[in-house]
Amino acid sequence: MSIRVFFRIVAVVAVIFAAHRALAQADANVISDPTSTAILLSNPGVRVVVLYFAATDCPISNREVPEVIRLSHHFPAPSVRFWWVYPNVEDNGQTVVKHLHDFSIPAIGVVDHRQVFVALAHATITPEAAVFLVEGKKLHEVYHGRIDNRYITLGQERPQANHHDLELAIGAALAGKPVPQPDGPPVGCAIAPPQK
Amino acid sequence: MKTLRALSVFPATAVLCVLFCLPLVGTHAAVSPQSQAVAQEPASATWSHDVAPVLYQNCTTCHHPGGAGPFSLLTYADARRWAPQILQVTQSRFMPPWLPAPGYGDFADVRRLSDDDRALLKRWINGGMAPGDVKAAPPAPHFETKWQLGKPDLILQTAQPFTLPAGGTDVFRNLIMPNPLKETRYIRAMEILPSPASVVHHANLLIDRTASLRRLHPADWQRGIPGMELLMDAGNRFDPDSHFLFWKPDTRALVEPDGMPWRLDPGNDLVLNIHMKPTGKPETVTAQVALYFTPDPPIHQPMLLQLDGDDQLNIPAGDSKFIVQDSLTLPVDVQVLGVYPHAHYLGRDMQGWAILPSGEKKWLVWIKDWDINRQSVYRYREPLLLPAGTVLHMKYSFDNSAANPHNPHSPPVRVTAGNRSDDEMSHLWLQVLAVNTPANAPDPRLQLEEAWMRNRLSKSPEDGVSLYNLAAALAGENKFTEAAAVYEQELKLDPTNARALTAMGAALEGAGQFDQARERYQAAIATASLADSGGCDAQFDLARLQVRRGEYAEAEKEFRALLSACPEDAETHSGLGAALLGEGRADDAAREFRRALEMDAGDFTALYNLGVMAADAGKPGPAAKLLEDAVRAKPDSSDAHVKLASAYAQLGRLSDALTQLRTAAALAPQDAQVYSSMAQVLDGLGQSEEAFTEQKRALQLDPQDADGWNNLGAMLARGGQTEAARAAFEHALQINPDHAQAKANLARLANRN
Repeated sequence: MSIRVFFRIVAVVAVIFAAHRALAQADANVISDPTSTAILLSNPGVRVVVLYFAATDCPISNREVPEVIRLSHHFPAPSVRFWWVYPNVEDNGQTVVKHLHDFSIPAIGVVDHRQVFVALAHATITPEAAVFLVEGKKLHEVYHGRIDNRYITLGQERPQANHHDLELAIGAALAGKPVPQPDGPPVGCAIAPPQK
Repeated sequence: MKTLRALSVFPATAVLCVLFCLPLVGTHAAVSPQSQAVAQEPASATWSHDVAPVLYQNCTTCHHPGGAGPFSLLTYADARRWAPQILQVTQSRFMPPWLPAPGYGDFADVRRLSDDDRALLKRWINGGMAPGDVKAAPPAPHFETKWQLGKPDLILQTAQPFTLPAGGTDVFRNLIMPNPLKETRYIRAMEILPSPASVVHHANLLIDRTASLRRLHPADWQRGIPGMELLMDAGNRFDPDSHFLFWKPDTRALVEPDGMPWRLDPGNDLVLNIHMKPTGKPETVTAQVALYFTPDPPIHQPMLLQLDGDDQLNIPAGDSKFIVQDSLTLPVDVQVLGVYPHAHYLGRDMQGWAILPSGEKKWLVWIKDWDINRQSVYRYREPLLLPAGTVLHMKYSFDNSAANPHNPHSPPVRVTAGNRSDDEMSHLWLQVLAVNTPANAPDPRLQLEEAWMRNRLSKSPEDGVSLYNLAAALAGENKFTEAAAVYEQELKLDPTNARALTAMGAALEGAGQFDQARERYQAAIATASLADSGGCDAQFDLARLQVRRGEYAEAEKEFRALLSACPEDAETHSGLGAALLGEGRADDAAREFRRALEMDAGDFTALYNLGVMAADAGKPGPAAKLLEDAVRAKPDSSDAHVKLASAYAQLGRLSDALTQLRTAAALAPQDAQVYSSMAQVLDGLGQSEEAFTEQKRALQLDPQDADGWNNLGAMLARGGQTEAARAAFEHALQINPDHAQAKANLARLANRN
């Protein structure tokens, strides 16, 4: 009897897990918890990959969304590919789908609970961005840090940014020039430790 | 009177808490028992025992599901999730939002986190964020999702949703809300419910007494009007702004002190000036304002005063320490109830203080690191008494260098005063309540207004609004000649200003210069189209002057022209009634008075005249009722009190009559007739000695009153003072040889002998 009960519990868990995966994968705009960064190299013609680390519940991350959307239009595919990465356990397939929709984000979201992309980019904060040059089958990180200088610290904010670090970095990377590094630290919400 | 208008200048600006809004409720400076315990056992801080009470007391008012804060802090998981940010913003004192430096103003509801609580949070976070016994944590506070004070008496809604763009700079918008009231209400409390709550950082609710903004933007007022500061037309009577109706996300409900509700009249608009921060996606913003009534009118009338250095604001690009100053001497004793410092993005250090006549310095406020995003109204824990002669001071410094992160210009440019957020302002608003006002003194707010406007004019001599308001204050103080001179100054700047011409006419009329007044009214009518409110007001005042001068037929003609060309109002009907009454057409007059009361049940002219007509018709009951309403409508009319006293006397209510006469005497202490009437009432009450005293007082004021001498004689005769009585009757006959009553009394006295 006890063995049958055990198997019934496992079965229930499996059903829940399957439902979750099905929901997350039902929307082509969300990739759930990749185990490697290979996906970043899957598009032909990409010269520069940009990862934008976001959190649906982080206000500064959200307030930078229009700027990152602007940059994604300014540096269009196929040369530049933007990925929106959600590293916190609070964000799942459902919340990310809703976030992409609510904020009219024209990109694929990546739920990164294993924080594979976080490690790749050395990101610590949302919002933060990383820029990679595609070199054959490899990615070479040339920038990680803030989007712009609107936020100086939590509580110190410019009415509008007047130095656009990420834009300069992408532009330099595309032009094959030395990539300028951020003038200040990223400001926002700490990325929670990876899911065990 | 239609001509005493005041213009209201009030900041429609402000802001509050930015992204990680951890506002507080209630006291915070006191060390909580929990944090005291932690201080004794520094290694054992847990969320359930130590941290939750601090967060519940200081943070969760905004940071709860559905609250204005961007995330909740109600649970252990919440606190752990946001711990790095909590640590950073509490150690930097960005949160909870509180700008005043401690020790420079003793404020209520201080939100500054205590050092002990900051140390506790730091120790807990750096120590691993132990949960403790979560089940033993204090219960999380409960937050109403709708109205904190229960069902409101009236809810106003913004006319149209406002679409806030996804990105860009902050947005300041004035959303106009007409009110549906049919009668005046007094507001004891208010709540504002923006939606979504997280986008609105602060709001100022302004009262547009004349719906002037809506009239100025007839086609698109529903969409709201941009701008940080508004200039509104405050209407015909002296009615200065009186309350800080300032709201921020942690303002659960704004409850006014006892005896100090604010007034909302039919036709007033409420204007919600809101500061919104884009969230990253387009937001559809609406707001509701809930009002809670009290039947009691205000006992105390506060007033808002402003010091400002806007005339000095001409800040060179790169200047990191540009100073402006202002000072204002108080003409009367006041209690300061609250303070609202205001600047835009370049403001840095903001000081306000008072120097008392004794030389003592009292700080009003000192903000050492201004942040427009966290501005607020600050209310004093206890009213701050400042005697007449106290000099209020403000000194603000501005940083227009590239090193100022708040600078909206990159690179910096020269900045002057203005209404846009990238212009600058330097305002120090104070809510004051005049105290120790002598009996029978004029409204002390007029003196404060006069002092304030003179101060503004000392800095900007050609400021039309200040000239107009100064003149209006002087007229309100019955300084009509001075008022007319100030209007003259204003008219030199703008000779075709119909409104100033009309107001000057009223001042001249007050000074007894009727012909000159008439000329100004006619000039105003000539310069304004009749459909313009300036023309209508001038024509109304001209008609009223004609009634006053006994030119009833001409007045009737003017009033009828007004009714055909201008918006119909109660005052015009009651004015026409007065003209018809003067022409001896009592029935027609009564009809107009009744029409006036249909439109405005508190129209004084209609109530008074119908009351007097009823009394004259031998109907003291209806007369008393009408005159009671008249007294309520205009408590400072000594004449109405006297007429009401007369009606009461006819009804045999002598004590009530005496009360009315005493009020009339307080209002018009030089009116002999009031004392004479009082003497008669006292005599009727059997208080012969007091009656005699009042009659003598009346005759001192008006020695030529034959009736008064006759009455005095009668009192003396009843008191057995025959010779003195005889002398009084003879005095009456010297003044009026045909005085029948005095003759009869003298004869009666002779027969008695």
